[in-house]
Amino acid sequence: METFLNTIVDGVMVGGIYALVAIGWVIIYKCSGVLNLAMGELTLIGAYLSFTLYSVGVPFLIAILLSLIIGFILGLLVERIFLDKLIGESILSVIMVTVGLSFFLKGIVQFLWGTSRKVFTPSVFSIEPITIGPLAINELFLWGFVAAIILLITFVAFFKYTKWGLAMQATADDEMAALSIGISARFVYAIAWGIAFMAAGIGGTFLGNINGISPSLGHLGLLVLPAVVLGGLNSIPGAVVGGITIGILENLTGTYIDNSLKEYAPYIFMAIFLLFKPHGFWGWERIERV
Amino acid sequence: MSPTHLPCGDYHQNYKQDHGWWQTRLIQIKMIILLIILLLILPYMLDSFWISIVNQIGYTVLGVLGVQLLIGYCGLLTLGHAAFIAVGAYTSALLVTEFPWPQFMIDYGLAYPISIIIAGIIAGLWSVLFGLPSARVKGFYLILTTMAAQFVTVGYILQHVTKLTESQASEITMSDSLQLGPWVINLTEDSIKIYYFMVVLVILCCIIVINLTRSRVGRAWIAIRDNDISAEVMGINVIKYKLLAFFVAGFIAGIAGAFYITICPTITHEPFGWDLSLWLVGAILIGGVASIHGAFFGSFFMVLLIELLKLLKDSITETPFLKDAEIAFLKDIVFGFFICVFIIYEPKGLAYRWQQIKNYFNLWPFSY
Repeated sequence: METFLNTIVDGVMVGGIYALVAIGWVIIYKCSGVLNLAMGELTLIGAYLSFTLYSVGVPFLIAILLSLIIGFILGLLVERIFLDKLIGESILSVIMVTVGLSFFLKGIVQFLWGTSRKVFTPSVFSIEPITIGPLAINELFLWGFVAAIILLITFVAFFKYTKWGLAMQATADDEMAALSIGISARFVYAIAWGIAFMAAGIGGTFLGNINGISPSLGHLGLLVLPAVVLGGLNSIPGAVVGGITIGILENLTGTYIDNSLKEYAPYIFMAIFLLFKPHGFWGWERIERV
Repeated sequence: MSPTHLPCGDYHQNYKQDHGWWQTRLIQIKMIILLIILLLILPYMLDSFWISIVNQIGYTVLGVLGVQLLIGYCGLLTLGHAAFIAVGAYTSALLVTEFPWPQFMIDYGLAYPISIIIAGIIAGLWSVLFGLPSARVKGFYLILTTMAAQFVTVGYILQHVTKLTESQASEITMSDSLQLGPWVINLTEDSIKIYYFMVVLVILCCIIVINLTRSRVGRAWIAIRDNDISAEVMGINVIKYKLLAFFVAGFIAGIAGAFYITICPTITHEPFGWDLSLWLVGAILIGGVASIHGAFFGSFFMVLLIELLKLLKDSITETPFLKDAEIAFLKDIVFGFFICVFIIYEPKGLAYRWQQIKNYFNLWPFSY
């Protein structure tokens, strides 16, 4: 029973981090309709940025904040260079440009930082787990979950109360109407990519603390895709639920079925889930007409 | 796709000419010369390094043909094709090394050819299994299910299937020679025999795919690609044709995998990862979707790009700046860069550019 509870709680904590990255993905899709397959590499960039800042001696919190800011600027740049010219193209072209972008970013990361595994030294979180009742929670997961919740609340507040947040919601809802009011769609796309870089950066930093950072961390970032499919491509609360579900599912598979299947179980689950609910739990159903 | 026009003043006078594969005298002469070059001249002009590169191109063409059929002709976005090539390679290798063939089959050299066909069929069936979701989902979600196919097959199943064999090894090692009918191919030395084998396989698969696309089946696929709801309304059985597309693509992928064991005598799951799937889709985007020329151009471009990078690496690593850098990342950067450039500036690919060049000469002086 204890292992079961531990597994579930670990799953929820890791799922919080996945949920954060999933929110970044959903924001890009809602605001600009771009299906972003480069999410894994965005987490890589954030992770390596905060690692570099941390190893120069900057305290961890400030390293995260700085990597957030740099990630945001990188998001604006990437959107301007790669994606501006693709507005209105077919879905395959857009997806393949993000795939090309993922290769490009992975190559640059390997060029700048090498392919060996880097570990945060001195280690940021202690190895001793915090015991709450019968559960032993790893300190890293707990702080990752807390960071995810804080960022989630920040994003919700941003979307609900600030002018640009409302502008992004308007663009996501009906782009033509938003353009006619005077909202600059390109600026909204740029902010969407910036936010995605930020969210992925934090996710990558915490995920990188688990086992060290290497270019294969991109595969963990790609796990966001089952999460958004579960929750529905357009919905932010769906992304949160999907992320947490994927975290729980991954840990349950790891503990009870087979540890090497751990990374792939979300994909199998997603494939089966798509047969029953092709638009996810809260996604908008597309009605197609001839 | 805009057609390639006939030259000015050249008219067909009966249906037989219209249906022809090679529609003008010039194209016929050109194709015969190409065949002569391929079969007679190239093997003796190139040294074994370049022949191995051509073999690699042939392998890529076989893989890309399947993806071209799925994405270009049928509109099924697939990012998991490397899994089916892997299934073909593992099946063929396991059949050749582990299966107890009756002695007369080994004497007549039938083991490998039969294993190729069986590998194609099993890869086709596996492809149909993962194509079943296409009856329910389309577009982006189909990408996700084929991605799931890729990860599950190569990441998990194939790694564990070799443990079930007698030798319990984690990889399959082929012996030095394969017998293909009356010809014995020594895998480390006879690249010319592998070359001829590759040419025969590629020509056969091209004939299969081109004939399929010119037939009723191909027209059904193109209808599904353009608008699958209208296709269903018109009476095309959409699910049947989608699954048929998956089967044919998987069959060709199985043949590609079975060919791969002659290029690389040790089979692991490493060369068939997610990267290869993306590589194949990138090849058809660079070459041009919905054309067989595109499959060839894309494969040429990709393989020659890698070889160029390897040649550059030997000259670059002498400069002190990049002395410690691994060159694998350059492949990623260049691949990503070229995909983005091609999609943004040349979205119809190299085949379109080739067609425009031909049209310019065909329609001169009235090139509008």
